[in-house]
Formats: sequence, structure tokens, C-alpha cells
Amino acid sequence: MIRFSRMYKTFTVGAAFTLLSAFSQNSSSPRVNMPYKKMGLTQEQAAAHLLSRFTFGAKPGQVKEVVDMGLEKWFHQQLEANLPDEEVAKRLPADNYEALTMKNEEIVNTYLNAGQIIRVAAKNNLFDKDSVKNLDKPEYRAQLKKIMDAQGFKAPAELQRQLINQKIVKAAYGQNQLQEVLTDFWFNHFNVSLTKGQCQQFVMSYERDAIRPNVFGNFETLLESTAKHPAMLEYLDNASSVSMDNEMARQQEKSAAARALKQRLEQSAMDTSKPGARLLAQTLVARKTQGLNENYAREIMELHTMGVDGGYTQQDVTTVARALTGWSIMPMYKDGPGMKLIEAAGPAFLKRKGFVVEGDFLFRADKHDESPKTILGKNFPANGGYEEGKQVLEMLAMHPSTAKFISTKLATRFVSDTPSAELVSRLTDEYLKTNGNIKALLITIVNSREFWDKTSLREKVKSPFEYAISAIRATNADVQQPFQIYNWCTRMGQRFYYYQAPTGFPDRASYWINTGSLLNRMNFGLAFATEKIPGVKLNLAALNDNHEPESAEAALAIYSKILLPERDLDENIRRLTAMVKDNTLEQKISSAAEKTAPPQQDMNTMQQDEMAMNNDNRKLSRRQQLANEKKALSKKNLPVTTLYVAGNTSTVAQVTGIIIGSPEFQRK
Amino acid sequence: MVNRRAFMKSGAMALFAAGFGGVPSFIARATDGRKILSPYKKNKVLVCIFQRGAMDGLMAVSPYSDPNLKALRPTLYMSPAETEGKMIDLDGRFGLHPSLAAFAPFFTEGRMAIVHGVGSPNNTRSHFDAQDYMESGTPFSKSTNSGWLNRAVGLLGHEGTPFRAVSLTSSLPRSLYGDNESLAISNLQEFAIQMRGNPLATNLAAKSFESLYDQTSSQVLSRAGKESFDAIKMLNANNIKNYQPANGVVYPNSPLGNSLKQIATLIKMDVGMEVAFAESGGWDTHFNQGTANGALARNLKDFSDSIAAFWKDMDAYQDEVTVMTMTEFGRTAHQNGTGGTDHGRASCLFVLGNDVSGGKVYNNIKTLAKEDLEDGRDLPVSTDFRSVFSSVAGSHLKIGNNKILFPGWDGTGLGLMKA
Repeated sequence: MIRFSRMYKTFTVGAAFTLLSAFSQNSSSPRVNMPYKKMGLTQEQAAAHLLSRFTFGAKPGQVKEVVDMGLEKWFHQQLEANLPDEEVAKRLPADNYEALTMKNEEIVNTYLNAGQIIRVAAKNNLFDKDSVKNLDKPEYRAQLKKIMDAQGFKAPAELQRQLINQKIVKAAYGQNQLQEVLTDFWFNHFNVSLTKGQCQQFVMSYERDAIRPNVFGNFETLLESTAKHPAMLEYLDNASSVSMDNEMARQQEKSAAARALKQRLEQSAMDTSKPGARLLAQTLVARKTQGLNENYAREIMELHTMGVDGGYTQQDVTTVARALTGWSIMPMYKDGPGMKLIEAAGPAFLKRKGFVVEGDFLFRADKHDESPKTILGKNFPANGGYEEGKQVLEMLAMHPSTAKFISTKLATRFVSDTPSAELVSRLTDEYLKTNGNIKALLITIVNSREFWDKTSLREKVKSPFEYAISAIRATNADVQQPFQIYNWCTRMGQRFYYYQAPTGFPDRASYWINTGSLLNRMNFGLAFATEKIPGVKLNLAALNDNHEPESAEAALAIYSKILLPERDLDENIRRLTAMVKDNTLEQKISSAAEKTAPPQQDMNTMQQDEMAMNNDNRKLSRRQQLANEKKALSKKNLPVTTLYVAGNTSTVAQVTGIIIGSPEFQRK
Repeated sequence: MVNRRAFMKSGAMALFAAGFGGVPSFIARATDGRKILSPYKKNKVLVCIFQRGAMDGLMAVSPYSDPNLKALRPTLYMSPAETEGKMIDLDGRFGLHPSLAAFAPFFTEGRMAIVHGVGSPNNTRSHFDAQDYMESGTPFSKSTNSGWLNRAVGLLGHEGTPFRAVSLTSSLPRSLYGDNESLAISNLQEFAIQMRGNPLATNLAAKSFESLYDQTSSQVLSRAGKESFDAIKMLNANNIKNYQPANGVVYPNSPLGNSLKQIATLIKMDVGMEVAFAESGGWDTHFNQGTANGALARNLKDFSDSIAAFWKDMDAYQDEVTVMTMTEFGRTAHQNGTGGTDHGRASCLFVLGNDVSGGKVYNNIKTLAKEDLEDGRDLPVSTDFRSVFSSVAGSHLKIGNNKILFPGWDGTGLGLMKA
């Protein structure tokens, strides 16, 4: 399996994926054999449980579909992850989501970060001594925008809109649900964050190229693909971790040409009349202060593989950092000095010198620590180069502590916040037997009694993202502005892609559920079902074959069953019935509706939202667009009024809102 | 979990047990500036303000008497000697930026301390990394999963309410990551069951949710549900909307002003808040930062006016409250080619409170001569931020144990608080 995973890296991602699927049937994976009957569950109950854990929530009628198809077959289909996804394609049209297929190099030269924008301004003389005073002025900004538009440059917020929206669309409308669930899981495991400017532009490709294609493969493949990706190399600073103990670097320093260059650079940096001087000076300071950076080495052991108590020492951390010196990023800024340097050197020269180029990954032989090393008791001889780092990753991936750590994390995600030691130990054995094959581990989970145990059912609480997506799926909602869903996830406590710490979001109910987040969950249910979230359309009548319930009580009973299949809801219904029994209620509510203040939105995400809303709005009517523009203009007043949606005030919508906001719907 | 149950049972809740809308309007009574006799012991409150982007400490509180400064900053140099927009002299060595004038009386009265040359021992000049390290409180470890303020909450050693730690931000800041419950909310008016424009339906929905969360078999959900509904009753949205600051104070209409106004509201509502967090942005002044006027001056004015408004609004509550500001690092000692300053090392911070030994610029700064600068360009860090944070939080909140507050740090607190 290891050799296989090596081999397929030379194919394109797509080809490798097809191959992987073709091979998976005869791989060493155990047979799927779900013991739900032994654990006292009906097929329907089992299907509902399976859907609640391995998808982002059951769609109406999906429990029956899975039962009809057979639970095992459905699970296999999800493991193959090759169902067609027309709905996703339709909702992510290329003209509004062009970054989704862009390579990193194209992204960084299109969606400019702050530093690049400044360089554009400088290049276009927006930036000379005379106009520098006007940098804050609207005229300057307008001028800059004109230049950026003319040259095809875009703001980074537009890239983030596409990233965020694609996640929502794929989770809500994708057929290959397990692949999306695992992409979410592994992204969080190997977390990177948009809060760090240096890795922002790479997160799109990180999820698409380093995570998603590898979520069913061997753990080692994931580890290596994340280790080499620019997003991770920037997020945990390995790209700037270099060794001072390198013969090639010493030779370079000594050469006359290098000394002349250094002198020239230092002189340019002193000449403050030139716009680039400041950046150059900063670069030179950074270069002087560079050295070993242990961040990635520490986190790869503590968070990605062995776990904090995995049995490594501080010495191991430092030595792993030394082994990974030189693991860096191919220069990709057009006309940047790095790009010129690499082009001038040429591939043959680089290869001869021990450099390795793989896509965006660059191993810099001139920054690598060449001395011999001992890591976790294993000796690595001197001059190990790029292969040394690869061996370290392989050793970490196959370490028994890693097997246990990853098994625990998977069991926590799919079975229970507190998985039994016995289950974890069975998964650990399977991990070691299959070289960390993720499919084999998932099969071991569904084959376990623990997964089907009645104490595991509904034991997990959905994350805000899972909650919001499950509401969309349960109601067949049409989400035309996915970014609105993102704003709600933020309010409910999960600003995804922005979790700052490399730990990723904690995976336990007590983290997600607290006073503020719970209130927002209830309010989400109400706003969602009554269609007060802009761009969210529901057809609740269609869920009940267009039969209108005769009373509020009937609506309650009918919609509880549709939205929460195979759950025991008698007590919920009994309690709610007492409240909705007043038949005059609907009239009272309708007549009392509206007239009060429109909703307000918090300020912190305002600017980004505006961008996202404007682009999400392409499909909206002119009237709605005007309302949005008005909102954008009123930016200075705090808090800001958002697009106001009249919504649906019917009893069915309100009852649905209460069901979605209810504790039962928070569980999975 | 014990503390939460105890909160439900606490006598204080009897006040709010009247159901929806039945909240005593103590806010109205609070507005005359007199202290309300609280039904239970009032807690101390630590208010932390993070200035994101790295404030230029050398301009905010300027060592104007150092002759090197003028050479380093030919067009950014300011002093008390100028005719227009002159600095406010603090002690013959340091001057306060004229836009920080609102701080001057606090300093003179001895309730504001300034700490200069403060920062992190980790010399990163990345905003992200430096904020991460300062907020986690572990300058060399990224994987610390909690924030220092969250750990401070854990050390309080008594029961708390859902409002014990509140951040006036849309998502939880790194400082409050962790096991102790913290609330992130940018607009208190949103703290209610909401069905826009439909009060009857809202009431029905609220009652339904309360009943459903009461009976769920998930303990996590039922506890949080109970707390949520109690909290709503404590925070009657109308009272928040109609909040009138004491002494006719008008807060600046800015993000920081709004945050501090809401913090004041929570303090006066006696909802049990002990740690509050707010943010202020726009400090990354690479270009044209200006002197007495300009980008930095505007920001400093909003910053000090907001804090001064908050302090005056606190009035009778001032003994309970301490405000501490922080920023991830300072800026280069020299100005750059575009009238601004770049990422540097040390900056300064402000601590305001009646238990602060103020009226002094605490510092170990030598000179701005090249040999005294870090890498020949930056004001070096001569005071570890942890020695300030631990002293302020430790003394004001009466918490000990720096081993938990700042793991791996064995320094001592800077004695800037009254014993």
C-alpha cells in the first residue's frame, strides 16, 4: 500500500483518484458487516444513524432510499465517492467561481494580498512622494481599484467568498457526502487559517489538492501532501525555517557575484526615495534573523501524528525541524526575484544540486541541515537531503502513538465524544495492519458494536456548520447566497477557515454548546424556516406532498417526522402541542407581524460580507440588489441594516423553525 | 459543571424569575450614577482592549528627550516644545501624544500607569504570530489550546454566570479560547429569541424552546438551554436599547466606543461579568501616519476618548474596574520612506484603575542609540508582557498561580498595582 501511494503521486490528482477507487475493492480493507440488528436496531433506525454520522444530514426520504439500497451498499458507494455532482456544478458556475479551478500560481497573481496591492500602487506611480499623503483618500482608492480592474487583479476577499461558498454548496448539495465530511474532518485535523495573511491565498488549493483527494487513502499520503503544501508551509512557518549549517550556502556567500549582489541590495534598501526600498530593507532584516523554526516540527508531532503524550522529546522536535529545513515553496509571484532566480538556474542545475521541485513544493538543498541526526532513536546519516524529510514523515505516520492518536480522533468524530478504550485499541490495530488506511478504519468503525450501541445514538452534538447544512438538507432548501449561511455559522461559534490555532476546532459537545451559541442556534432555526435569511428559499408544502396540515398540531406532528426521521419525538410533540393548540394563534400572529426594526448585523465581518453579498447577488433581482447597495453605503453607521426579507409568517414555517431550533435537531 | 448548577440556584436568579418581560428595570436606576445595592457580592471586572495591527508606542508615548529620536524620525518627531499640536509632558522624558489628551488627567491623578518597552520575548514581526503568542500567553508554543484570559477565568476559584467572560466580537478571540465558558457577542441586542417584527410568534417560539430544552435527555443541551433562558431574562433587550450612560457621557460612535458602551451596560446590569474583551483596529501605520493630525492621531483619539467615556460612565463602579490595553508589537524606531513606520519590537500599554499605582511610565528603556536597539533598528523588549498581565490580572482579579496563567514562564510580576 505504501508503494502504491508513492506511485500514484506521479499521476494527476484526478487520475490517481480513479485508480485508487478501482483498486479499493481488492485492497486489504475488511468487509463491511454492520451489526446493527444485534444491537437491537431496525434497518430504518440504523440507516438514520448512519446518515446522521457519515453525511451532513439526511434529506427527506433518504432513510428509505438507503434501506431500499441496502446499508452496506450505500456505505460502499460513499467510500468510492464517484457519484456525479451536477447539482454542485450548477450552483458553482465557472463565471462566478473562477478561482475554484485555479492553480496557486494563478491565484497569487490574481487575488492580490495587501503587500502585492501596494506594489501595484507603487508600479503605477500612485505611490510617489507627492501622492503619499493621499493614501487614505477615496480618490486614491478609486484610482487603485481602476488599475486593479484594468489589469485583472482582484481583492483577496473575493477569493475567500468562493472558498467559503464552495464548502457550503458541496456539503449541502453534494452526493459524495462522506468525502465532504472527511474533507471537513481532515482539514480541521491539519488546520490552516485565513487569519494568517501569508497562507491566505493557498487555502483554496490546500483543501482541494492536499486534503480532498486523499481523505480515503493512507494517512501518510495526507501527512505528506499537507507537509508540502504552501498553505501549511506558511501557516506553521516551515517555509522560513532554514539551516545555517550548509556547505552550498557557505560557498555561495563567498562567491564574488553573491557579495556584489548583497552590496547592491543593501544600497538600494538605503535609498528611501525608491518605493521598493522599504520592502527590500525588511526582507534583508528578515534574512539576517532567519534560522531554525520549530513550529511545524512541534505541531506535526503534537497535533498531526503522535499526540502530546506520544513519547517524543524536545530534542526530537528540534531534530525533526532540522530534518525539514529547506522544505519550502516554489516562487510564484510574477516578476518576483525568486521566480527570476529559479528560471535562471534551470531544472538541470537544480537537480544536480539536490533541489527537488514537485508542483508548488521546493526542496532547497542550500537551506537544508546536512549534519547526521537521531530522531526517536533512529539514526539518519549526514547529507540525507530531501529523502531524509520523507523518511521522517513515514516514520511518524507509522508510529504506534500516531496509530492510537488518529484512531482516537476518528472514533471521537464518528462514534462518541468519549470513545471506549476497546474500540480505540481495535482501530489502532487495524491502523498498524493496513499502514494507516483510512477506508479500513471507517469500515472498522461501522463494523463495531460500539457504533450501533444505543448509548451512541444521538450522543454527538452537531457543529454549527453541520447544524446549518443539516437544516438545508432536511428541508431541501434552495440557498442562493451561501455566504449568509457562513455569517450564521460565525454567530453560532464556528467561523470556519478562520480558526486561528493549529489545533483546529475541538470536537466535543461542550465546546460548541454554550449560552450565546445556543441562542443563536435557536434563532437560526427560526430565521431559516421563516425564510428571513436572504437568499434562502424553502418549499415546506412540497415536503408534505403539497398537503397543507389542518392545524398547528398536525403541522407539528407531520414536520417533526419529516425533519427528524426515526427519532422518538412523542414527548417533544406533547409539550409543543399544548402551546400551539390555540387555533386563533395563526391569525393573531399574522396580524401582529412586521412593522418593527429590520435585522442588524455585526460589524466585524462587514467588509468581507459586502464583497461576498455583492457577488452572491448576481442572481438577485434589481430591487434586491438596490437594497444591498444601500446597505453597503450605510457602512459608517453602526450597526448596519442588512437586506430585509419579509419572510414567511405561516404556522408551518414557525413550527418548522421550532423543530430545527429544538435540542433534538442539534444532535446527531 | 458544578458552578453552572449553582448559578441556577443562586439567590440572584430569584430577581429574574418572573418570566419573559418581567425583568426589573435596574438599568433605569443605574443611570443616575449612584451605585445599586446589589443582592450579591459584586465582582471585580478586568477589561482588556487589544489594539490589533501594532501601535507605534514611540509616538503614542514618546521618549522625546532622547536626541536620537529626532534623527530617526525627522518628520515624525514630536515634543512638548512645539507650538502647535504639542505633546503633553509626562515626566520630562516621555510625552503623551496630544490625541491622548483624555488620558492626561488619569495619569496626573495617579490612576493610570503606562508601561513602555513592553512586548514578547519571541522576536517575530508577523502580526499573526505575535498576536497568537500574546493571546495564548505562550510566546514559543503555538499549540497551547487555551488563551491566557480563559485561564485567568479558570483561576477565579468561584462560581460564575454565563456572562463571566464576554468578548464584544463576532467570534471568540484567541485570548478566550479554552475550557472555561466564554461568550462572544458583538451586539447585546441580539441576545434574545428573535422573530423579526413578530412579538407573538417570538413569545411562542421562546416558550417552546424553553420547554423543549428543559426536557431533553442531553445534559449539555439542557444545561445550556436553562442558562440561555435565564440569561435572556437578565439581559432584557429593551433595557439595552434604552441604555443611558451616567454623567451625560457620549461614547464615540466607533467600534471600540460601541464595545465599551456595551461592556458598561453589562457591568451595571450586574450579570456577573468578570472579564471583558474588546478590540480596536487600524494600528498598522506603514504609510503616512502623520503627527498631531493624521491616521495615527485619529486612531489614538478614538482610543482614548472611548476609554475616557467608559471610565466616566463607570463612575460609582470605578473601584471594581481595571482597564488594560495591549498590542502585539511596536514599530521601527526610524520612520520609513513613506511617512510611516514598519513592524518593530516593543510598544507601550496603558493600565487604568483605582487600584493601579499610576502616574508613572514604567520602563527599562535605555536610549534609542543604534547600539541600544534590537537588530540596530527596533526598540527592544525590556519588559515581558507576561509580567504586566500577571500583575494586573493577579492583583485585580485576586488570582494567583502564574504557572497556570503563563505556563513555562518563571518571571515575576511588575509591581504596578497597589498592594
